Amino acid sequence: MALFEARGIHKRFGHQVVLENIDLSFEAGRLSGIMGPNGAGKTTCFNVLTGAFKPDRGRVIFDGEDITGRSPDAIARKGISRSFQTMSLFDEYTALENVLIALPEVRGRGFNMIEPLAMDGEAADRAAAVLSRVGLSGREHRRAGDLAYGERRALEIAVALAAGPRLLFLDEPTSGLGAEATARLADLVLDLKRDYSIVVIEHDMRFLFGLADTISVIHWGQVIAGGTPDELRGNKWVQRSMLADLGGSP
Amino acid sequence: MPAPILEVRGLVKRYTRGLFARRETFRLEAEFSMSESAIVGVMGPNGSGKTTLFELITGSNTPGAGSVLVMGRNIHDVKYKERDRLAIHYHQSYQVRRFRRTRPAFLMQPAGHDYPMVHLFDEPQFNTRDGYIGFMLDFFRRLRSQGRLVLVCLHPNEPYHIELMEEVCERFVFVLAGRVREYPDFRAMVEAPDVRSYLGRLAPLAAVSRR
Repeated sequence: MALFEARGIHKRFGHQVVLENIDLSFEAGRLSGIMGPNGAGKTTCFNVLTGAFKPDRGRVIFDGEDITGRSPDAIARKGISRSFQTMSLFDEYTALENVLIALPEVRGRGFNMIEPLAMDGEAADRAAAVLSRVGLSGREHRRAGDLAYGERRALEIAVALAAGPRLLFLDEPTSGLGAEATARLADLVLDLKRDYSIVVIEHDMRFLFGLADTISVIHWGQVIAGGTPDELRGNKWVQRSMLADLGGSP
Repeated sequence: MPAPILEVRGLVKRYTRGLFARRETFRLEAEFSMSESAIVGVMGPNGSGKTTLFELITGSNTPGAGSVLVMGRNIHDVKYKERDRLAIHYHQSYQVRRFRRTRPAFLMQPAGHDYPMVHLFDEPQFNTRDGYIGFMLDFFRRLRSQGRLVLVCLHPNEPYHIELMEEVCERFVFVLAGRVREYPDFRAMVEAPDVRSYLGRLAPLAAVSRR
């Protein structure tokens, strides 16, 4: 049984149908990719899957439970975390503090929690461990706003990991990154893949083709193709494009 | 006998200029019928009336005369909100829906379908560098296999545009200066003198690709 399923998702904004009859299925322990050109509906799809938007029709199933229309908080408590295409970090806080305030036990404390947390060695150790997992050891006490762009992307992922998710959604993680930083991020995601079920929405085909177990292609608000990277690579027109140069089996 | 998927009957759209002495600046006329699922290529120069034709088929533009029947229903009599359940217009990456409301929706009829029967792709962004072309063509074929009618509109300016239209489309419609003509296949279309003239430097390549 799939860990996460979307069945017949339909979303309309006014007269605009943004998602039309979307079916998706993500297996546990796999990295599933969603790709599509700009304006295809990828981020809207992501927002529906993670609870930011309620679908007009269709169902979202996580681990056998119908979570359709639940709030993002409720969905997060079920074990689904997400990162954002646009950075959502607190620039004035350190990397450690950004992760600390994403820890479930810390979020439960509510307002004015940072100061007492400095004394909470256990939470700080957990946050530091998460930072280490994404390669940010030694950057714990840097302000998020002072980190390099690629490091900020990694910190975004660390914040998503802080909740200890069973399923991690990453929204266009390579957005704004150069080739070198994208390669480092690919290494990080490959490493995380050993421990997490991951869904990545991405327009960078190279990135996805190198990482994903399966890919769904979204365009015009619909799933227009799907399969493993090798299956998709088999398409004549894909072979004629720059994708023909990608790694993987011929 | 079931109604054709798309039937365009005596369709006329006129654009005029001038407040008192109205002068016709553009006139589109169309009459054709497509009874079965197919992938149809629609070609013609910019400004020839391709997008206007698509707007008339989806009911986002009002004809001066004639009618458009989708699955036997006059698209202009279908509730505005449900017209896209019959015919849907995609411009590049986005869906187009702009309906001028001239009648109350409660007096209009329902679409009777839950998923568009006619899909009109207006200048899809075919880019050989990003690889999406293959997925788009497969999507057109999937819609066709599901009994839908697919119209793909393209103003070709690269040799591969001709190649992919020939690959995926079974029938063709050529629009020139508001006149809409049907062709049973690619060969018949490119043999028409005005089509060859329009294709210009691409025409010889089209001839080569047929061999």
